[in-house]
Amino acid sequence: MNLSELWSYDFMRYALASALLLGPACALLGVFVTLRGLAFFSDALAHSAFTGVALAFLIQERTGWSVDPMVTVFVFSLVLAGGMAWLMQRTALGADSVIAVAFTGSVAAGAILITMLGRYRMIDGLLFGSIYANGPEELARQAGLALLVGGLILSQMRRLALATLSPELAQAQGIPTGWGNVLLVLLIAATVVVSLKMLGALLLSALIVIPASAARMACRSFRAMLGLALLGGVLAPASGVVASAGLDLPTGPCIVLANILFLVLCGLWKMGRVGLA
Amino acid sequence: MISASCLPAPSVFSCRAPLLRMENLGVRFGPQWALRGVDLHIWPGDLLAFIGPNGAGKTTLLRAILGLVPPAEGRIVQHRPDLRIGYVPQRLSLDAAFPLTVEEFLALNLRDSSAWFGGVPGKQRRAVREALETLQAAHLARKQLGLLSGGQFQRVLIAAALLRDPEMLLLDEPSASIDRRGTEELQTFLQDLHQTLGLTIVFVSHDLHLVHHLADRVGCLNQSFCGVGPPQEILSEPFLAAAYGAALAPRRFGFPLARS
Repeated sequence: MNLSELWSYDFMRYALASALLLGPACALLGVFVTLRGLAFFSDALAHSAFTGVALAFLIQERTGWSVDPMVTVFVFSLVLAGGMAWLMQRTALGADSVIAVAFTGSVAAGAILITMLGRYRMIDGLLFGSIYANGPEELARQAGLALLVGGLILSQMRRLALATLSPELAQAQGIPTGWGNVLLVLLIAATVVVSLKMLGALLLSALIVIPASAARMACRSFRAMLGLALLGGVLAPASGVVASAGLDLPTGPCIVLANILFLVLCGLWKMGRVGLA
Repeated sequence: MISASCLPAPSVFSCRAPLLRMENLGVRFGPQWALRGVDLHIWPGDLLAFIGPNGAGKTTLLRAILGLVPPAEGRIVQHRPDLRIGYVPQRLSLDAAFPLTVEEFLALNLRDSSAWFGGVPGKQRRAVREALETLQAAHLARKQLGLLSGGQFQRVLIAAALLRDPEMLLLDEPSASIDRRGTEELQTFLQDLHQTLGLTIVFVSHDLHLVHHLADRVGCLNQSFCGVGPPQEILSEPFLAAAYGAALAPRRFGFPLARS
């Protein structure tokens, strides 16, 4: 089956539309996630979905109440974020240790619960997702998420940038410290909820962190970083979907590798510009 | 407390209302007092320095003036509620790789930059250029912020504060991380700003040379208020001993102290 034949299928068009909606939204989110040093933190939140999903099944089995996993994923990721923030402030543990404990702990707890509930096969889907499991309803949700992330980040760009650069300067201009982190945590949690089914925890982390990291490495101005991250957020997921269809390879890993290729190209371009290549 | 803390305003200011009045100001963090008993007026056109050892409450005093820490006792009264105050923090611990040019950083500090996306539109660009030219730093516009030298960065921070058109400029340790030559340049352009723009300048510093040569008045702190007055009076043994301790003060500073 050649590429033009593949595009005649709805699932392929939906997959591409999904990549084009979620890629730039995640990249925009990633600009501030990486500048604030929250890459590992966002990774932990994405993986907390293991426990979030398992909790929905557990509640259903024990009480008979049907709970939408989106609700438990959202609530659990916020609880985990609050717990991590509390531990970082109140204990001598370093931020990276707290995140590692929360990350591995929530994946392990989720995997055990899911196995106990007899749904072990779900684990693969939670890690890698299935971008072909899209329909018009999912696309509408993703478009809503892209609008939410884009609207909030673009409208709060100045406050976020100043608070990221220097909490002290931001405070002196009446911008409360910590506010930006709360906004980012809420947006990451919303992104996890909406895109977990399509992207999985692993791919979601890659889409948030890699385009922004590549742009940060290559640029010395904020505007250039913003533009390049968005470009990566469009090109890498789209080319990952096309490559996976053309080469008959799993889509999630193809998108991650396309992102890494984008990062390598940005690195080479930067090295060429400063005369190291 | 030494009686000079209640010195009257210098005669040049006495016919005008103070910009700020601190009345028995005290700031506490938990059970610990960071600062207590500050009675002070800041006058239009003042060039006031605060000295004192580490932990004396100098930065806390600036933060209280900015309204960032609330008084635990006493109060700060502004002559006008809309007093515009510019703030230059100590050298920020910036990530050198943070992708932000000087021009973008300055635009970030403009009042009307709500739609800031890193870009600097025409009208704002003019304001940014003017602020940089005032500080003879126009050549830095396209440089990456994290790669500036200490002196260059200090100028950019002052330019950023000036963009908000302040009546009073607060500087926290402006000469920290600047070499001697840079400090002399800083002194010159702060004097220029004071004279040409009529700006009220309040700064805290450990650099008594800078304080000696730049300030018109000096306030002396050591968690409580030791005194305020002209430099030749405050930079003398009784006040320095009150702030830094009797054993350390006379030996610590490598310039001839004025004696009262």
